[in-house]
Amino acid sequence: MWYKRTIPLLIVFVAGLLGFAHEYVPHPIAGRFREEVTTAFRIIGGFALFIGAYSLLHMHLTRIRRRQPGWAYSGFVFLGASVMIFLGMVLGTGPLVDPAPGELTAFQWGYDNVLVPCNATIFSLLAFFMASAAFRTFRVRNFSAALLLGAAVVVMFGRVPISELFGELLFGADGRQVFPKASQILMDYPNLAAKRGILLGVSLGAIAQSLRVLFGIERSYMGGGD
Amino acid sequence: MAIPQAELRRLAIAKHVIFVLVAAAVIVPFVAKVYQRDFKPTSYAEDLFQKVHNLDANTRVLISLDFDPGSEAELLPMGVAILRHCFQQRLIPVVMTNYPSGVDLARTIVEEAVAKSEVDYGRKLTSGRDYAYLGFRPGGVNLVLNMGENLKGAFQTDYYGKPTEDMPALVGVQSLKDLKLVIDITSSAWVELWIVYGADRFGFEYGAGVTAVMGPDMYPFLQSGQVIGLLDGLRGAADYELLLQRTEVGKLDKTGRGILGMTAQSAAHVLVIVLVLAANARFIFRRATGREKG
Amino acid sequence: MPEPDDNASSVRRAVEIGVFTVLLAVFLGVSYYCQDPFGLTGEALAHSIGVIVAAGLTLVMYSFLYRDNPLFKIAENLYVGVALGYGAVMTWRMALREEVYKPIFMAPTTEALGEALVWRTVPILLGILLTMRISRKYSWLSRYSYCLLVGWGAGVGISVYTHSYVLQQLNAAIAPLQDAVTQGTWEPLSGAWFLGAFFPMLGSLAVLVGTVAVLFYFFFSVEHGTAGRTVSKVGIWFLMISFGASFGNTVMARLSLLIGRVQFLLFQWIQMDQ
Repeated sequence: MWYKRTIPLLIVFVAGLLGFAHEYVPHPIAGRFREEVTTAFRIIGGFALFIGAYSLLHMHLTRIRRRQPGWAYSGFVFLGASVMIFLGMVLGTGPLVDPAPGELTAFQWGYDNVLVPCNATIFSLLAFFMASAAFRTFRVRNFSAALLLGAAVVVMFGRVPISELFGELLFGADGRQVFPKASQILMDYPNLAAKRGILLGVSLGAIAQSLRVLFGIERSYMGGGD
Repeated sequence: MAIPQAELRRLAIAKHVIFVLVAAAVIVPFVAKVYQRDFKPTSYAEDLFQKVHNLDANTRVLISLDFDPGSEAELLPMGVAILRHCFQQRLIPVVMTNYPSGVDLARTIVEEAVAKSEVDYGRKLTSGRDYAYLGFRPGGVNLVLNMGENLKGAFQTDYYGKPTEDMPALVGVQSLKDLKLVIDITSSAWVELWIVYGADRFGFEYGAGVTAVMGPDMYPFLQSGQVIGLLDGLRGAADYELLLQRTEVGKLDKTGRGILGMTAQSAAHVLVIVLVLAANARFIFRRATGREKG
Repeated sequence: MPEPDDNASSVRRAVEIGVFTVLLAVFLGVSYYCQDPFGLTGEALAHSIGVIVAAGLTLVMYSFLYRDNPLFKIAENLYVGVALGYGAVMTWRMALREEVYKPIFMAPTTEALGEALVWRTVPILLGILLTMRISRKYSWLSRYSYCLLVGWGAGVGISVYTHSYVLQQLNAAIAPLQDAVTQGTWEPLSGAWFLGAFFPMLGSLAVLVGTVAVLFYFFFSVEHGTAGRTVSKVGIWFLMISFGASFGNTVMARLSLLIGRVQFLLFQWIQMDQ
């Protein structure tokens, strides 16, 4: 139907054209236009934050309703969410007042002592699995893998301060910077070349994708349905 | 082909032995209080440090702390060190975040830096006058574009609810075009978005602090001059803390988490290198003697 | 008659419960000894209890290294819920209250209210339409808002990507070659010339060759001939070195995260001297 497909595609095209063209208008009205449009988009963006929260809550609610494996644990999701919302909106400073500098609220306490340690620790688990995986699976089966391993060892060793001590031990006082320098050369030349190549390729692809979106060829952002 | 039970048990034991070794490599240096403080900072960290150091007093510096607690270990020390440097040089840092889950983490960083600096530099620092913490606003890159035209319109109040219109910390800053330096500390694509939608468009100089994972990706921007200085992971934080300590003769900051973590970092890296090289030496030997395929 | 495997798993379960009880006692003992919460009041007490809770959650998370267990799952789901609740409060406080509630319901003057209603009504309606994405029947309404955002982003992106990523990077790839040749007043073939011009030029040339080789490797629109395969191979070498550097840095990053947690446990929970 025209109002479900044609109008949105037209909106994409006009918005994209304005987004592109206003950059090349030297009049101050272009800056004012950008200010008003981005203010509007900031307001719209605020509502977008709800969609992620809703999806997560809906997923856990479905798990509880259908008694899927591990459904009892989903109760803790609701427990944590409701306690934090209570602490942030009801207890403490309330929904309309902000804390003062240095003031410790129960809401901040929950953030500092539940969210921060859990979030930080979950990511730190990767250190163990990475070391274990590197030992068990990283094998030099061909020249390319040897290059990868060699570069990894040079960078891993050169980036830590102990390499300066090793350099001094092996090459004397003037040799402190041998390993850090080797690591830096690797980063400044072959790494730079490869990253630049990837960056150029990806950006050209992104530009092409933007054009596809503008002309209605790419429509995945519209969601399902007709 | 199914892996034999004995092999699975051997792999599981090897996995847990490695876990114990990694934990020991990290914990022992702290328990033994072995800290290395005589390393040379990287040139990119020094560039960023000198850029901040050479700014005139009362210059406003925008610092965007775009990360959540998952990257706190690497990026919090950077944030605290840079803010302390700003207070040492009597600059006025204007702090914000683009991460809704990092709002109070950024607040913690600001308040920790303020508390330390008040002790170290002997002066009271007041929010809204000596620094500003703006908090978070939604919009992503549209927020940056909006700030580029009207910063106070984008942030009509700071995190503590005070209006920004007449805020002393924001005098002379109507938009991003009025800023000399912006520093982004992040674990995400924000480091490039600030270049693309901010620095290249509005003409301010731009420095970055990133997690070590993202360090190699920044080199094209460093070489092109789009980024004037870079702090790269916990080592970058340690570099900045070391540079800061060298300007504070006689004041040894014992709580710089970057420097304190370097010995553990060294030990863990050496462990991983030894493990990988040993495994590959065994593999190459077995392949050479025909006992290993591939 | 119970099977030998059932006996082994129940023995293992009993050992695990025993070890867990001992570890819990150790945790509580260390917390009491190092934090001494019963001797504190007010903010100090809140801080002390907070450190104990944070340390407990950290150690529960690390129990995953042994194996997945109910405590870990509880902590994980609790964290998800707390993050959700935090996000909801911040969305209200930092976004909706500042952009919607305050300008309209707490406008200081009638003029300010009028201005807010004029300029904010349409974005607010579009924001509400955006949230229709959650409804199966009316999700098509969200397309209007999405299309505006996506279209604008695509349009702006074309020019900024071209400038910042393509043109700036191409300039940076070629300019050093030119600078190495044109800048400086060295005597050709002198030592200073080698250090100041020749070697930097070689380095820049190597980077340019590498960049082109990497780009060529990813060019799949035509089949690579013999020369093309050689260039691709050079591209792969550069990529492998870059991936090795990235791997090394990734190891560094993950270990840094572990170091951060260890610092918290040793210096804040156990209160060890630095």
